[in-house]
Amino acid sequence: MAIFNLKKRVIECKIVYYGPGRCGKTTNLEYIFKAYKKQIKGEMVSINTEGDRTLFFDFLPIGLGKVKGCDVRVQLYTVPGQVQYSSTRKLVLRGVDGVVFVADSLKVRREKNMESLQDLQKNLKEYGSSVFKTPLVMQFNKRDLAGQGIPLMSVEQMARDLNRQLKVPYFETSAFLGQGVGQTLKECMKLTLQSLQKQVQWAQ
Amino acid sequence: MSVKSQIELLLREAEIYRSQGLLVEAKGKYNVAVDLIGKLDQAKNKEALIQAICRKIKSLTISYHQIERAQEAPQMPPKVQDLVKNLFSFSQDKDEDKAALEGAITLAKFGQYDRALEEFNELTKKDSLRVVACKNILRCCFSVYSPEEAVERYKKWLKDDLYSKEQLQKIRLFLEDLLDKKGIEIQLPAVLDADEATIDQDRVDEDLIDISSIGITFEGGPQKGQMVEMEVSFQSGNMISLIVSSKDRELIESLKVGFRLNDVQFFSPIAIFQGSGIVMAKTKINSGPKRGDYSLDIKIVNT
Repeated sequence: MAIFNLKKRVIECKIVYYGPGRCGKTTNLEYIFKAYKKQIKGEMVSINTEGDRTLFFDFLPIGLGKVKGCDVRVQLYTVPGQVQYSSTRKLVLRGVDGVVFVADSLKVRREKNMESLQDLQKNLKEYGSSVFKTPLVMQFNKRDLAGQGIPLMSVEQMARDLNRQLKVPYFETSAFLGQGVGQTLKECMKLTLQSLQKQVQWAQ
Repeated sequence: MSVKSQIELLLREAEIYRSQGLLVEAKGKYNVAVDLIGKLDQAKNKEALIQAICRKIKSLTISYHQIERAQEAPQMPPKVQDLVKNLFSFSQDKDEDKAALEGAITLAKFGQYDRALEEFNELTKKDSLRVVACKNILRCCFSVYSPEEAVERYKKWLKDDLYSKEQLQKIRLFLEDLLDKKGIEIQLPAVLDADEATIDQDRVDEDLIDISSIGITFEGGPQKGQMVEMEVSFQSGNMISLIVSSKDRELIESLKVGFRLNDVQFFSPIAIFQGSGIVMAKTKINSGPKRGDYSLDIKIVNT
């Protein structure tokens, strides 16, 4: 639910990083926080629990500069990935404008990726939205582990598993090394702003 | 691939999963590795290797249980609580009171019950928000304490002049509904006019017999399972006062205000009965022979 302040010419929108536990959502935000210091509008807030897992959410406000004379501010969030934090995930997802779905490339996490995507679909539906209508970008993360001889899914398999119907842009990434993190975010912001532009036109 | 290479690969995989925080997956790989090593007839240091892997499995199991047992919603620092209120209150309501209500509801949704309760309690002072604040207090009581605690709160409000009969009726209906949904059968006191209520309370007070001492059995903490006996120094209706010596540090620290004692034995000259109580006040005695000791007020809530 983006906020348009026409008087101050400010657009504020919300992008949520979604995905199964330990897939690298927080690592994405940590990299953005380090790599895009100039655009960061405040501190990154993280609340972790036992085992360094995100408990509630991570939050990072960034500024995109001016788009058509308007100051664009984006709030980046992550959700807790573990199954038991379902209610928190739903709370964080409320009012979302764009989603980055972070999928884990490890073969052993195949089922968890699919479960998490279903969970996203279910939660968006409960807010009267849909995974097909929400600006969405996918990340196939942890590609760097291929070099360590760990069984990873092929990009084709992941696309078949997760993106056969959605057909959204996807990126091979290593959030740990920062590879593909910026591209994913830029694509998600592009889709989000296009969607918001459409909404504003409709409202006019 | 030779068995040795398979084992090496399994151990490398397990180590990477462990470093990724994927404890179940790591444990799975270590277990397969142990099975494979066990089947080897001639292997150098076979037993030592199995033992080393078993230690890793044990450590993973401990970490896994620690995560499972971790509190689902620990208290956030006040600064983060403020941020949560700000980020997740969506109505943008300009009415300060309504915005405060939404903020408190947001805190409760994030499991920040202590502060949410504080804020709801404050909101009960506002006539227009009293009923909705009370309903939320009852919800919090169900989530964080017990249905009995919710009933106690309702009983407290019944005696409070601040609440109109109409407001109390609404709260009572709401509480009845909550109890029904949980399948709990508790007869809630009816909402009476002020005069009737005073008479009713007097009757309750008269019904309670004199209690000379109590025995508290702790359900947790350092004194778990132990019964601590204390003399009652004063009784007024269902409220009893006890003196706790300053030497009983652990006891003083565990008996915090609001703490519910589920296993209490009440000793009276004519009978012993079992029940529960809530610590209502804890005051340090600053003068006289008991100086330094603590006076505890415990409300008997269920016998």
